[in-house]
Amino acid sequence: MTALDDAGAPPALSPARTALHRVTSGVKLHFANPATVVLLPLFILGTILALNLLIWLLIVAATPVEVRSEQQFADGFSEGVQWSGAASFIFVWHLIVAIQAMNATFPYALGFGATRRDYYLGTALTWVAVAAGWAALFGVLAWIEEATVGWGLGGRMFSAVYFGLDGPWMRIVYVFLLFLLFLFLGTISGAMYVRFRSFGVTALWIGIAFLLVGVIAIIVLTQSFAQVAEFLLSIGFGGVYALTLIPTALAAVAGFFVLRRATTRN
Amino acid sequence: MTTVATVTGLTKRYGPVTAVDDVSFRIEENRIYGLLGRNGAGKTTLMSLLTGQEFASDGRIEVFGASPVEHAGVLERISFIRESQRYPEDFQVRHVLRSAPWFFSRWDEDYAARLVEAFRLPVKRRIKKLSRGQLSAVGVVVGLASRAPLTFFDEPYLGLDAVARQLFYDELLSDVAERPRTVVLSTHLIDEVSKLLEHVLVIDQGRIIVDSDAEELRGSATTVAGARSAVDAFVAGREVLHRDGLGGLATATVGRLGEEERAAARAAGLELAPVSLQQLIVRLTNTSEKEFQLS
Repeated sequence: MTALDDAGAPPALSPARTALHRVTSGVKLHFANPATVVLLPLFILGTILALNLLIWLLIVAATPVEVRSEQQFADGFSEGVQWSGAASFIFVWHLIVAIQAMNATFPYALGFGATRRDYYLGTALTWVAVAAGWAALFGVLAWIEEATVGWGLGGRMFSAVYFGLDGPWMRIVYVFLLFLLFLFLGTISGAMYVRFRSFGVTALWIGIAFLLVGVIAIIVLTQSFAQVAEFLLSIGFGGVYALTLIPTALAAVAGFFVLRRATTRN
Repeated sequence: MTTVATVTGLTKRYGPVTAVDDVSFRIEENRIYGLLGRNGAGKTTLMSLLTGQEFASDGRIEVFGASPVEHAGVLERISFIRESQRYPEDFQVRHVLRSAPWFFSRWDEDYAARLVEAFRLPVKRRIKKLSRGQLSAVGVVVGLASRAPLTFFDEPYLGLDAVARQLFYDELLSDVAERPRTVVLSTHLIDEVSKLLEHVLVIDQGRIIVDSDAEELRGSATTVAGARSAVDAFVAGREVLHRDGLGGLATATVGRLGEEERAAARAAGLELAPVSLQQLIVRLTNTSEKEFQLS
């Protein structure tokens, strides 16, 4: 009766646009208004840096010169600030960024005819770009920090010991991997939120908490803490950061399957 | 005629609620469809299923010959801006206009710009600061300028003023005449759009209760009015869709009347009047007109 019936098999519908074009549409969507994904995190980082500079200034001002030199390394950095966790907030913040960005753009992309697959791949590609951008920024800031002996105040934020002692280039790689980890933990959380709302996110993190406690339980019960510590020391910063790729990849794959069945219903 | 979409035995359940209940129909190419029904009847759910935004519990959907779910080739031929479409929190109107062509391959930027001006949309205002009418206008602009071969409008004139509504009708008719495509309009303001519609689907409690050519549907009922006794005598033995009375006067809505029957009615002193699409659908869905408009 109809042309479709006459034709027998339905016509093969190949998209007018390439897969790459569709995926990059998702990337562009995340940057369409850069406030959430780029500007606010940069502002937060700037604020943290400013606060740290103030604190370091206070420390310098309040410490007599002879005491200060006692607590200083040969390179001029203060001992206490080697362990600065100031930058950690920006990593955790990116977990939130991923959740926010997905909650904001998923119903929009779906409403504009994107497939969940293309949207997810675009989102993942966005996070890789964001992580790379931040790693590069950290690299530059760490370089300035070391060149100016801690902004002239002996403090460390971007070259803190957590980012390794393997030189400036490896530090950039480590920061990249760390951003990826938090962004993809945010992605699985965001996918859970989009699909199951807050219940989903709560359930996810309860699950993660149990997993972590379980791992600790195994280590404690088998009295293998020494072996674990030995193992971590043997693989070093490079090994530990490479290991983060496991949870990162797991989160990325799980996020895909969670989002694949998500709808825009509130 | 080419079939754009075929729906067979489609059912969507949300827990104990059946939002779409064993529905079957076809959508033919280059016609304007009205998807009519009360709020909660299942209009938006049905359109969400047709556009792959929701997953069917049962049944089959074929749009452009394939399931729309996760099918980029099908989805890029569809535009469906739902009445409750969510936009990114920090988006302004201009961000929507900038990002739309990334998703709609047939997007016409000049046309969108003309529509934005005609609807007087403030492009630098945040979406969440727009009035309900302005928000509807954003959906209308995207729906028209995307020029998708299959375009859904979900309650497009919620909050639109009379001028904007007229603008929408005029633009829809002229643009569709120029670039033929299939349009599905969902609404409960039936009288306003009834002239636009070529085919009518009425959904009630998740079921399609009318699937008919609009012209045919309009002639399918007549109201007879006159003295109660004459009305009673005339409608005896007929199916009466609706009956009303005041004192000795009565009106009754009956099915299609032939020429002879019309002559007989006039001879009995009865007045005949056509039934508007809205009245007819109200009668068919068994609700009072007032309730329908309020819904």
